[in-house]
Amino acid sequence: MIGGSVCNEKLSAGLIFAEGQHLTHQNKEALWDIFEAIGKNWSNTIYNSNNQRSSWYEMLKAKTENAPNYAGEYVNAIYVLNELYEMYGKEDAFKKLFFESGIDNDAPPTTRLAHCKIYVVNEFIRMQITAGGFKSWGTKNGGEQAKNYHGFLGGTRYNRLSRVRAYEPDTDNLKNDNT
Amino acid sequence: MKKQFDYVIVGGGVAAATIAKGLLEHKNDTSILILEAGPEIVAKDRRFWWDYITRGERPYTFTYDQKWEADSTGNIDYQTDGVRVKAYGGSTMHWGAWCLRFRPEDFNLFTNTGEGADWPIDYEDLEKYYNDAEAYLSVCGDNDANWIPRSKPYSVPPFQWTAADGEMIEAWEQLDVVYQDGDMDPGTKSKIKSGKMPIARYRKCMTTGTCKYCPIGGRFNAQYVLDDLKGDVRFVNFEVRVNSPVHKVNAESKANMDSVTYTDNLTGEEHTVCGDTVILASGAYNVPKLLRASKSKHWKDGIGNDNDLVGRFVVSHSMLNVVGKAKSNPNGWFQEYDFPTLMSHSYNTKEHQKKGKIFMFKNRTTPNTDIAKLMIEGKTREEIDEIVYGEMTVNIQAFLEEKGKYSNRLESKPGVDRFGLPQTTVHFSRTDEEMKNANDRLKLLEQIIEKMGLEVTSSRVDKPGGHHTTGTARMGTSPENSVTDKYMKVHETNNLYVCSNAAFPTGSAVNPTLTLTAMAFRLVEHLIEKN
Repeated sequence: MIGGSVCNEKLSAGLIFAEGQHLTHQNKEALWDIFEAIGKNWSNTIYNSNNQRSSWYEMLKAKTENAPNYAGEYVNAIYVLNELYEMYGKEDAFKKLFFESGIDNDAPPTTRLAHCKIYVVNEFIRMQITAGGFKSWGTKNGGEQAKNYHGFLGGTRYNRLSRVRAYEPDTDNLKNDNT
Repeated sequence: MKKQFDYVIVGGGVAAATIAKGLLEHKNDTSILILEAGPEIVAKDRRFWWDYITRGERPYTFTYDQKWEADSTGNIDYQTDGVRVKAYGGSTMHWGAWCLRFRPEDFNLFTNTGEGADWPIDYEDLEKYYNDAEAYLSVCGDNDANWIPRSKPYSVPPFQWTAADGEMIEAWEQLDVVYQDGDMDPGTKSKIKSGKMPIARYRKCMTTGTCKYCPIGGRFNAQYVLDDLKGDVRFVNFEVRVNSPVHKVNAESKANMDSVTYTDNLTGEEHTVCGDTVILASGAYNVPKLLRASKSKHWKDGIGNDNDLVGRFVVSHSMLNVVGKAKSNPNGWFQEYDFPTLMSHSYNTKEHQKKGKIFMFKNRTTPNTDIAKLMIEGKTREEIDEIVYGEMTVNIQAFLEEKGKYSNRLESKPGVDRFGLPQTTVHFSRTDEEMKNANDRLKLLEQIIEKMGLEVTSSRVDKPGGHHTTGTARMGTSPENSVTDKYMKVHETNNLYVCSNAAFPTGSAVNPTLTLTAMAFRLVEHLIEKN
């Protein structure tokens, strides 16, 4: 178990009620630190997470301007982060949160920490992987870099460049031709 | 509230949308009412999409049949839960958009095998409507393919095979189960060239992977067509009422229907609306239930049911499923799209009809690794790398054609579902021979997996289900062998039509929606000529 009294304070499992509540610019910047730390800790972005910033803002907007409103969850996550920063320092706080939280991801969240992990961290991870296109895998053994991922929104309708790693049949294989 | 229409259409899915569009474009002031039992669920909504991405939630799943609403009897469980969307737009809210034509032999199953039924029309009768349907749905496909006779090219080029398809393609070549091999007509030496899956890309598909809830309206959804029709100022007499389950078609004589009766689920009030023509476009489940529920002095056992055929001859697809495992995945391959890109029609030919044709395809999601889930579980980058390049699972699947049998029947059971429609029970059994044939086909799939150098870890025939149910109000040449005629008009009536998979006498081995859409185009032309 990580964190102190804030992280381990009991909460009901449902989404924290926040109808009518909005995020401030400072709130969003604090939350962006989580998103950016995901990219750093798993090295799953090409350079950093900045190319996903507008998508991430759009998700925050969709999640806080439509019911059910996530603003309460996002503010709770900032409280949790602040306590973790204080206890472990910023860099280690994220390592604790991502790798040592002890939270059961399949169980109803009943603490502030569990709310932060399930409603914020886990969702940010999913968003980063899908919107990021899963582009940092495939090259380990000299292979072609992955281009797409389920949920990655990219490409155009009449794209000339393949949006995926494509299979090109061997043109010498005459069995492919009609007889 | 208006109570008299030229056309009353029951059901708000692709068939209804296609018919309404065709009739309205022919004559702008045609009055049409669509009655949809389910609610309207917003498509293209960014919040719904983000919830799908981050939480895996889809907004329409609550409309799926629950176990208590739809069950089955017989020697095999018939999957009725989770297979159809009861909402404005129908099952195109969740379909995979695979758009394959039936093949010529599918229209002559009985003639060719002595089992099942023949259609009262041939492939040639439907071919030009297939062209219309493909253009309307914007189906992408390979114009070099010859697995089906076609008179017009696809309007959009096909998706490429993914790198992850390569090993299966090579296995098919080695086994002479080549995606491009197989005798189209036995003895002619004419080889089938197929391989790339035709998909309805509709308006602006950007080739990505959130097809189960598209945020940009790229995958065809009948809702978009209906929205366009409602918003078009030319079509002043077009109306859609949702939350409006129809429970009876009213006959003023044996031949003429004058109205339908439905309940407004929001007020509980019952309404009767008149239509010069009534079209049942509410799917292979609801059409037979509604026909049988529509009893009167003219139709004692329900409309079209004097010969006790309504709801019989249920046809489904059995899914064959073989999974293989490799010890490693050195290229970190995964199926980068969220739909299948590789298919084979080598066993979808006339010569395989007796035993049951199969349509093979590589599973739409394998190989794959849920990277995000591993991260959520706290796995490090190094641990995830081990998994990505480690064990790899590949799944090959096939739809197995089934033949309609008199004893297999879909009907109502007491009580209504959450949307006011009668609950369903399906009586469905397979014969020993069908099971044997299915298992024989599985062996072919197992060979492919083994040829890829994989170990077979699972091989099974899945239960049949409601995804592709057809046959429950099938077309034919007379009331003694069918419920509807070659224009899907209920026998012995003048103005009651079925535009649904229910009218298909056979189900082929491929997905039915393109054929249903083609039939809707054909019906529109018939109605325009008739009226």
